[in-house]
Amino acid sequence: MKENAKEKLFYLKRSIVHPFDAFYEIRFRGKGSASLAVIILLVFGVLQCVSYQYTGFIINFHDLAGMNSISIFLTWVLGFVLFIVSNWSVTTLLNGKGNMTDILTVVSYSLVPLTCTMIFQVFASNFIIAEEAMIVYVITGVGAVWSLFMLLAGLCVIHEYGFGKTLVSILLTFVAAAIIMFLGILFFTLIEQMVTFVISVGQEFIRRL
Amino acid sequence: MRRKGKKYFNGFFAALLGLTCALASPAQALASDGSSYVYDGYTYDFYGNAKESPAMFQLERTISAENMGGVALSSVDDVCTSADGRIFTVDTTESRINVFDENGGLLFTTRLVRTVDGKIALDENGNQIMLNAPEGLFIHEKEQEIYVADTGNKRIVVLDLATYGLLRIINAPAELVGVTQFVPSKIAVDLADRIYVVVQSSYEGIVELTRDGEFSGYYGVNTPMVSLTDYFWKSIASDEQKAQMAKVYAPAFNNITLDGEGFVMAVTYDSSASDMVFRLNSKGENVLRQEGNTPVIGDIWNMSSTDAGSQFVDIAVTDYGTYALLDRTKGRIFLYNFDGELLNAFGSRGNLKGEFKSPTSIAWLGDKLIVSDDMLNYIYILAPTAFGKAVLEGSESYYFGDWDAALVSFQQALALNANYESAYSGIGKNYLMKEDYKTAMYYFKMGNNRTFYSKAYNGFRGEWLERHFLIIMFLFLVLVAAVIGSEVRYHQQSKVKAKAAMKLLNSRRGREEE
Repeated sequence: MKENAKEKLFYLKRSIVHPFDAFYEIRFRGKGSASLAVIILLVFGVLQCVSYQYTGFIINFHDLAGMNSISIFLTWVLGFVLFIVSNWSVTTLLNGKGNMTDILTVVSYSLVPLTCTMIFQVFASNFIIAEEAMIVYVITGVGAVWSLFMLLAGLCVIHEYGFGKTLVSILLTFVAAAIIMFLGILFFTLIEQMVTFVISVGQEFIRRL
Repeated sequence: MRRKGKKYFNGFFAALLGLTCALASPAQALASDGSSYVYDGYTYDFYGNAKESPAMFQLERTISAENMGGVALSSVDDVCTSADGRIFTVDTTESRINVFDENGGLLFTTRLVRTVDGKIALDENGNQIMLNAPEGLFIHEKEQEIYVADTGNKRIVVLDLATYGLLRIINAPAELVGVTQFVPSKIAVDLADRIYVVVQSSYEGIVELTRDGEFSGYYGVNTPMVSLTDYFWKSIASDEQKAQMAKVYAPAFNNITLDGEGFVMAVTYDSSASDMVFRLNSKGENVLRQEGNTPVIGDIWNMSSTDAGSQFVDIAVTDYGTYALLDRTKGRIFLYNFDGELLNAFGSRGNLKGEFKSPTSIAWLGDKLIVSDDMLNYIYILAPTAFGKAVLEGSESYYFGDWDAALVSFQQALALNANYESAYSGIGKNYLMKEDYKTAMYYFKMGNNRTFYSKAYNGFRGEWLERHFLIIMFLFLVLVAAVIGSEVRYHQQSKVKAKAAMKLLNSRRGREEE
């Protein structure tokens, strides 16, 4: 068990520096861990809340009086869940070989560089002046680009796509995400109307009795 | 039955009267002539939320037709004040200039211009000089002159400030180039006696004249906003189509004044203008400081798609750069300091005394504001409230670098309005000057002023590093020593290992030889 966990962590580290090799191992030799991926995703969500509140005053432009940590957490986590689901639905149609767990693993693992640089940003921003903010932004930017590269590499490997097809599939993923969101909003609006109807019938019933 | 009903009726009225008294009694802010209007003020915070604030001004007195002693008052289009406290107004409909003292008493009124020694003045054709629909005037303190824009007669009449007698007349300059007709509407004269004339709907700029009335050029650049769609259609249109399209003209300036440093300040309410408030340098460029939370545009949110936003008809500037802008869409007065921070906004449209219907002009009289309205035909004298006084004094002390006085005033302002970001910033700047960085940081944080917080933090961090220099140096040296030590140990170990390996190799070799 302990050996197993060590191996999973080793492949997480390896995916950061050798994304193509590591994601190959994860996809075809079962070296990835879905639970580790979920933990990373949750940590990322929490980090967004932390960043909202604890980023240094000089580069923190948020109105802390209006902060809602649940909303921030859910926006980020559900945003990635939406990406995973719609990517899966698109790649299923486009002969992608990866399953849902693979996509989850790739997306979460590739968040690790960004997470690290964001932790650095939250910490360092409390000790900088406005002129030094650019340095912090650049470091975070490097993390973001690194994460993006990992994501692209990972999706290439798990779906067995070329680079161009990966880009197209990501574009279609956003379209699919928009459709899912539209259906979701439609569903909830209709449910709301139905609930209101039932409630008003109930109220009417009580008053007539 | 009838009597009983009447009794109830009386009782009802008594109750109503009592209620009104009860409601009225807490508002003790009555003006000296018994009229009262309490404005609601607000400012914007860093995040663009409107924060309630006490108004900086309250109605002190109104000047209306009652003050005129039988002379008609039909529309007040421009207001100016002199240093000795006189209020000068022009009445466009009645073609009159009216002069009041600071309490609203009428000092002088005329439409017929006389000479300095009281005779009827004649122009070069031997005609009497009657004003015709004048729209603006300006008091030139340096030369003790009144410049009146005699709009209907297309000329400028210059009067003596003491006797109101005619000094000279400036007619349309012969050298005037361009398509602008010389129809002077608003005037300003700077310290070098240059005359700036605003012609309504002139897209060529402000007409600049010399003291003798010779044309010296157009002044001020007012760039129009061009939308992206317009740009696209223009780029693909043919020459014939382009000729049919509406041309984009530079928006006209609508009003003008001078600030304490002699810069021309102008406003425009043309919706196509990219800037609304101008502080023009000698090249005619806009050098208005906009360092506040919001740009200098008045209201920053549009309440509906038909809301035109603030439209400034006039601007009044104090010696210390604090200016008041008069907004005709919502009848508001916006006060900004010389940095462009919104100090306060107040006022509304309506028919009550103190509200505005069609505000036209604003001027400072000491620390009071004179505002005119040409539909209500009132001239309001607004006096600063306790809060307003504190803020104005703070701005003045701050502008002249009197930090300690500014601190006291800003603290007074904060006691009356704890939401007041610009006062927090002001106090912070004072502590920053005194190099009390920690307190400064606290106030800049409260005032949401990140630029200055950064400056204060820079000082704070520098001091901290200096104070802990020894321990930081010590830790650094320990780190260096640890690194070097570990390197040395590593090399020693590898040497030992290499020796052992050599030994092993040698002994093996020896065995093989045997």
